[in-house]
Amino acid sequence: MKKLALLLSLAFLFAACPDAALAAADKGEVVVYNWSEYIPQDVLDEFTDETGIKVVYSTYETNDAMYSKIKLLRGQSYDLVCPSTYYLHLMIEEGLVTTFDHAKLTNLGNLDPKLMAPPYDPENKFSIPYMWGSFGMIINTKYVDREKAKTWRDLLRPEYKGKVILSDDMRDTFGIAMHAAGKSANSTNPDDIKAGYEFLKELHPSVRVFDLTAVKQAFISEEVIIGTSFNGDALVAKQEHPDLEYIYPEDGALVWIDSFAIPVGAKNVDNAHEFVNFLLRPEIAKRCQEEFMYSTPNLGTIELMSPEERNNPALQPTDKDLQKAEYLLNVGSKTLMLYKDYWEKLKSGF
Amino acid sequence: MQANNRFRLFSISSVWLWLGLFALLPNLALFLVSFLDRGETDFFIPVFTLDNYSRLLDPAFIRIFWDSMYLASISTLVCLLLGYPFAYLLARSSKRMRPWLMLLVVVPFWTNSLIRTYALIIILKTQGLINKLFIWLGLADGPFSLMYSDFAVFMGLTYTLLPFMILPLYASIEKLDVRLLDAAKDLGAGTLRSFWHVTLPLTLPGIVAGSILVFLPALGTFYVPEILGGATNMLLGTFIKNQFLVARDWPLGAAASTILTLLLVLLALIYRMSSRKAAETPLTEKGKKKGAADA
Amino acid sequence: MRKKLPYAYMWLVYAFLYIPILVVIIFSFNNARFSTDWNGFTLKWYDLLLKNQPLMDAAVNSLLVAVCAASLATFMGGLAALCIHRYKFTGKKILQGSIYMLTISPDIVMGIALLIFFISIKVELGFITLLIAHVTLAMPFVTLTVLARLSEFNENLIEAARDLGASEVKSFVHVLLPLTAPAVAAGWLLSFTLSLDDVLISFFVTGPSFEVLPLKIYSMVRHGVKPDINALSAIMFGLTLFLVLLAQFLARPKKKFLKED
Repeated sequence: MKKLALLLSLAFLFAACPDAALAAADKGEVVVYNWSEYIPQDVLDEFTDETGIKVVYSTYETNDAMYSKIKLLRGQSYDLVCPSTYYLHLMIEEGLVTTFDHAKLTNLGNLDPKLMAPPYDPENKFSIPYMWGSFGMIINTKYVDREKAKTWRDLLRPEYKGKVILSDDMRDTFGIAMHAAGKSANSTNPDDIKAGYEFLKELHPSVRVFDLTAVKQAFISEEVIIGTSFNGDALVAKQEHPDLEYIYPEDGALVWIDSFAIPVGAKNVDNAHEFVNFLLRPEIAKRCQEEFMYSTPNLGTIELMSPEERNNPALQPTDKDLQKAEYLLNVGSKTLMLYKDYWEKLKSGF
Repeated sequence: MQANNRFRLFSISSVWLWLGLFALLPNLALFLVSFLDRGETDFFIPVFTLDNYSRLLDPAFIRIFWDSMYLASISTLVCLLLGYPFAYLLARSSKRMRPWLMLLVVVPFWTNSLIRTYALIIILKTQGLINKLFIWLGLADGPFSLMYSDFAVFMGLTYTLLPFMILPLYASIEKLDVRLLDAAKDLGAGTLRSFWHVTLPLTLPGIVAGSILVFLPALGTFYVPEILGGATNMLLGTFIKNQFLVARDWPLGAAASTILTLLLVLLALIYRMSSRKAAETPLTEKGKKKGAADA
Repeated sequence: MRKKLPYAYMWLVYAFLYIPILVVIIFSFNNARFSTDWNGFTLKWYDLLLKNQPLMDAAVNSLLVAVCAASLATFMGGLAALCIHRYKFTGKKILQGSIYMLTISPDIVMGIALLIFFISIKVELGFITLLIAHVTLAMPFVTLTVLARLSEFNENLIEAARDLGASEVKSFVHVLLPLTAPAVAAGWLLSFTLSLDDVLISFFVTGPSFEVLPLKIYSMVRHGVKPDINALSAIMFGLTLFLVLLAQFLARPKKKFLKED
């Protein structure tokens, strides 16, 4: 057995050797902290070929985990992070991210003014949008009548019992619950949050799954027929199951933006600017967008799209679709605790 | 003699150093944090409070705790019932084959757990492999799904944790002296009787080790049971993880974790007492000696 | 019949363990990105995988750290078991307790605590920090497995060896180690498995320069796992199986794997 272990380890060591000695390129590196594969590998390779800057791509699973690590490291080790709306808000408030020099971002003009100046960063000093999308409703039209799936409250219909899927993300799910109750998803009023909880409590018996992976699989195999989804997930799932449809509920979807930000302790700030500027090129942004079918904030990219894509409301929502939609903002730790207590109550059946 | 002392000193001090730095220190820090208050922007602030423990008296937490205990206990039992006969056969197979057969038990687990869980979905879902097999055998006439059920959760947990039962059991059964069993047979004991009075007591340490190595991780897992079970209930592992990451409430997470450790101490004490009792029964002569040495 | 039935049971358990892996391999040739239904044969995921150097690097990193961590954990864990079994010393109970404590510490606690520790002593996050964390994670699994084997172990053998003039180290190497070999091997395999699959602890204690496979895979949860991971898993599985068979073939003539009794 010992010999076997030795043999195996030798084999592995041999496999490991060639990569170990690769030297960094002259122009240094940029350390990007992001979701795995969120930027296609060939885009990263092209950036390195063009600029000589090596991209070190490091990954996290959730915004929560990324935030905790960046905070513990006091913003060191990474040059760029890509937080979603309310975590960006929190990181700006806590001074964990620093400002961009807009003069260095020559492609900044490509970005859609509609997505610039979000409430958490009115001058885009700290954040440059990379990808955006909505969190709305997905239905299987084979089983669900469009007329009976117009608002979040329609999830409560008895015919969907045991066939509903919700996100396992506490803020997202509470966000739509607050909308169903006619409140703002960012309300810090305990009564409003209670109203959201009451909705979820009523809905809980109908829920088959709180999904912590992408919802695609459960819809494609028809385990569930109605529920919440990101627009990109719904579009990708539709490619493999044409009966699926993405809907903007009348009581309001949620809108998220994943934006690049520079942690305060970043070492390669110039390279970070160059990297972000590269990703702002319309054709590059197009390749990124196609990977996951989220929406792009890049107007140049939208021009490159086929008319079919451009007019697909799931990809490019109209103003009417987003009429009551909201960004999720940081609500402060007291309100967060309230959410969390209700969430635990909900899940344990109280 | 001096070399012996040096070896002894080296072993004890290096083990002490490692565990002290990486096990005791973090847990001590955790214990302290569980008595602190949470800050508005800090993970914890140095203000003493017992609030975290009183917050754990919430029925929601007790329910979460109970559900997780139930899940972990049943999975441990299933792993033991499945794993014991397997480990026994493994230990009784030809000497040359044993290490290879043992290796083959763990090889599947070198594939990432998330990937294996997705494979289980393919097996369990509507129109999945089990469904198709049942229809083919004529045991079912329509599509049915095993996903998001207790069965799926237990299957996932058993699948994830089985080697942690089999390997310690194997290591402990393997040393079993066949002559003892033969002696029991010569004395007229039936197969079942000799198993109950000889094999089982002698392999008890393996059973305990395997059960600990399955039960404790099972108590803390979240991914596998939640993906397969649909996460309509919260588990302890998720609860603790959420306090640290989602709610940014470290002190509460620390308190929950401390409670878990205290429970473990309690279990260890119960086990100690029961094994001491077992040591007093006449059949396990060696056990008695060891019990006396321990005392 | 009486002889065959037990073997049928063994095969059944092996089938339970291997069928999901078989499914992974089959679906690595599936022509669909997210579907769990069969949509036709393709090799495109293998093609994609070959172009994804960082993913392969992460796999190699994972194997490297798993081999080192398993070996070191087996050493430390075995030593801990030996100390607990053979010696009497101050704080033995605390030592024993801390081993159990390690098994119950939630991953998140261990990850955060170790990260804070590493930050405070200013070590750069990467291979070394990951190694330390994985050894700590895996150690109790070795210790408990070895202790289970050592308990009720015939003390007379060690005494006999010592009476014959063997030093502590010698009796350890020549008597104790061979006797515990199956447990040591089992402990190594469990440690290797644990290290290869750990996510939460690795997330906190590794740095950007040392990315491991589980982090990359679990990070895909939000956007959906791409099938090139299935392709990677299939290749890794094939490689492991090949190495195992090769090793068995090479070791065959010696006829002796475990020096026992």
